[in-house]
Amino acid sequence: MTNTISLNLDINGKTQEVTVEPRVTLLDALREHLGLTGTKKGCDHGQCGACTVHVDGERILSCLTLAAQVEGSKITTIEGLSDAAGELHPVQAAFLEHDAFQCGYCTPGQIMSAVACIREGHTGSDEEIREYMSGNLCRCGAYPHIVDAVREAAKVMS
Amino acid sequence: MTIVETRAKRGDAADGTLGGRLSRIDGPAKITGVADYALEHHPEGMVHAVLVESAIASGRVLAIDASAAKVAPGVLLVLTPDNAMPIKSATDWLNTPPADTPYEPLARTITFAGQHVAAVIAETFEQATAAAALVKVSYEETPAIFGLDDPKAGDGMPIDRMTIEWGDAQGALATAPVSIKQEYRTPREYNVPIEPHGLIAEWQSNKLTVWEPSQWIDGMARTYAEWFDIPFENVQLRSPYIGGGFGSKALPLEHGAIAINAARMLGRPVKLAVTRAQTFTAYGGRPATRQTIELGATREGKLVSIIQTGANETSIKDVAVEPLGSVTSIMYATPNFSSRQNIVRVNTVKPGALRAPGENPSAFGIECAIDELAYEIGIDPLDIRLLNYAEEDPHSKKPWSTRRLREAYAAGADAFGWSKRHPKPRSMREGNALIGYGVAAGTYPVRRTPGEALVRILGNGSVEVASSGIDMGQGTYTILAQTAAEAIGVPVEVVKVKLGDSSLPRAPVAGGSQLANLMTGAVHKAALAARDELIGLAINDPKSPFRDLQANTLVVENGQISSPRDTGSSIGIAEVMQRTGRERIEALRDTLPEKLRNDKDHFRNFTTITTMLSPTEGDYSLHSWCVHFVEVRVDQDFGTVRVARMVSALDSGRLYNPKLAESQWKGGIIMGIGQALLEEGLVDARNARVINNNLSDYLVPTNADIPDLKVISVGTPDTNASVLGGKAVGELGIVGVAPAIANAVYHATGVRVRDLPITLEKLI
Repeated sequence: MTNTISLNLDINGKTQEVTVEPRVTLLDALREHLGLTGTKKGCDHGQCGACTVHVDGERILSCLTLAAQVEGSKITTIEGLSDAAGELHPVQAAFLEHDAFQCGYCTPGQIMSAVACIREGHTGSDEEIREYMSGNLCRCGAYPHIVDAVREAAKVMS
Repeated sequence: MTIVETRAKRGDAADGTLGGRLSRIDGPAKITGVADYALEHHPEGMVHAVLVESAIASGRVLAIDASAAKVAPGVLLVLTPDNAMPIKSATDWLNTPPADTPYEPLARTITFAGQHVAAVIAETFEQATAAAALVKVSYEETPAIFGLDDPKAGDGMPIDRMTIEWGDAQGALATAPVSIKQEYRTPREYNVPIEPHGLIAEWQSNKLTVWEPSQWIDGMARTYAEWFDIPFENVQLRSPYIGGGFGSKALPLEHGAIAINAARMLGRPVKLAVTRAQTFTAYGGRPATRQTIELGATREGKLVSIIQTGANETSIKDVAVEPLGSVTSIMYATPNFSSRQNIVRVNTVKPGALRAPGENPSAFGIECAIDELAYEIGIDPLDIRLLNYAEEDPHSKKPWSTRRLREAYAAGADAFGWSKRHPKPRSMREGNALIGYGVAAGTYPVRRTPGEALVRILGNGSVEVASSGIDMGQGTYTILAQTAAEAIGVPVEVVKVKLGDSSLPRAPVAGGSQLANLMTGAVHKAALAARDELIGLAINDPKSPFRDLQANTLVVENGQISSPRDTGSSIGIAEVMQRTGRERIEALRDTLPEKLRNDKDHFRNFTTITTMLSPTEGDYSLHSWCVHFVEVRVDQDFGTVRVARMVSALDSGRLYNPKLAESQWKGGIIMGIGQALLEEGLVDARNARVINNNLSDYLVPTNADIPDLKVISVGTPDTNASVLGGKAVGELGIVGVAPAIANAVYHATGVRVRDLPITLEKLI
């Protein structure tokens, strides 16, 4: 299979053309073809959440999504979360303040999940935050600090 | 190399000094996606390698049919033992000289399922993956030993150097008024960093650049140089960010040799990303262990004898020892002691290091056993620990440097509310939940290897720190900035730290929880030397207000040099540099003892572990200590266990940055909760394959598994342990968690589970 397709992807508010084989995942398109390496590959099987991005405002696993599926959708990655002036998103700022990460590898996925979790309204209690942040594994064990950061960011954003 | 600039978002100025709660300075790069992990580089012309693995666990490869793979689209090379360029054997980390025979990272003889037998290199990752599936391997299969429980495995062979004995353990046990004897087991466990292993290798004539997550830049670079027969200086290994290691990224592995060799053969950069499934067989985690512990005691609960016999699994070809006597031999005072250990060969990848190798399963045994003895005697599990408190190291007979375990017991018990515990098992409940309280202690030794660091003061008054030491989340960037800022006398914001590159000054392995102590020591020494030179400039400058003053009368604070005797005058560092025409002051310092200060020993110090001091070398026995108090809730119908809350009190000596140290402690505790309740490498007895080789079936804790955790620091600076008073942090937190949970589960249910993990079928 060497046929390629040309896609126009709307990523972080910018249309980007990419020519890939149809079997290329959104994750590999971002990392290998578009230089957007902030989105991480942890398992490639939808089990760890490190590859979480937003498609039309909802969190999805980019390793289980083909790049060809998301043409015409608005894709947001960790690189597109800060505003144009480079000011940190409240969730990013809260992660830094609460030390909600160590090695940093699961962090972009955690942050993208957290932004969506807040938007979905799933921050009513610590238990609810824990449940709705459980699709993102963190082996360094930053979970209690992630809960602190999401709780605070939700407050700031409301 | 990566330069991390200090940007403290919030907090006050005191956060920047050593001991302050500065947010991690590599944080902004990590939360914005800018941090460049190894596999995120893209050298011109890069191609992709995918591994082909053995489908059998024991036997040999008869033939590899690569005909279909070779002609698949995009394929450049199918690498097999028959067409691979030769690789030399290398010195190992114990400085064992290499064998004369070549090193073959692709196997002809198979000793475990998942062993690399071939690799496919293609233009794209997708092409390489598809073509790898077309490689047909035929085998001659022989019976495999699947694990410790395989009848073919036997008792293994004794490792005499693990034997620890004093007194007459057998005699004392035979006459002890009270005794218990039980077996404790831990399964195969995996490191599971969220960043899988892998590398990008690029050759330019006989110079090699490798981007690879590494816990030991200099050790791995040395191996690569020897494998490919090039000078050490010709290897540049770059690892500015590491997506978790937990012991698994310290040593070179077969897949590294395969990728570097493919790059050499093709003349193109090669990227090899180990798949998640392969992370269960491309390297080993903690081996499965079993240990029998016999305790003899007086009727009051005072120990008179401890006898331990243990074993861990190892691979067919290698000797991997998980020291099961390490905690048993120092936690409690006993006049008679015996510990012996075997290793048992099974068809597995060579076991590796996983957070607190040895101490972790060792604590599971002794800390469960002492709990069982407490119930046997009829006293509180905390009281029996205090009754048998070791006032000195029972093994080395040396005094502890510091052992604030008694303070930890007191602080932890108080914060937890231990006094509310009803002594009887299965006596506390709330609705359907059986409630149990458990306690267990832990310890981790202070390991010491000399370090090295470069500190520069630049013309604009800023400061640079450089080392090949690494930061995989422990906070190295941050605490070294704090160390230099405090030693020189500048705001932490002007300090830049460069790490993770073999072109920088040397560092030993980031393992054994030693890096923070040895690197702060080296940076402190280099920074003071730079500061001395700066003051020298200020004194010798003809126009300086401090002309001819004594050096020791000047202070440097907040980037300003002043004399306390002359309150009026103060000059900035940049001004001194400018007036004296200096672009930089540079101090490279190491902390090697004089006898090792020669080229050969310097190299050995940073590329092997042969200069690492044992915790009892010198006048004291050096260890960190901790205690965990746990409340579990067990569903009485379903046997599901939830950790409801935990309080841990820990003695890691002085904390260089409590915010980051607390994170590391909690990370270890959370990994311990996973070990207690979830983690277990499952092996199919029919074919010796790890069958749960993915993140849905090998369960690690999720956010919903973890309650709020309270950690309390009870440490005080211990300058016998390290220059600046710190002890071990990173590996301490996990030690003792699993037995604390097992003890709590017993208290909740009356069921004693002695083999991890504690899953529901063991409780109903």
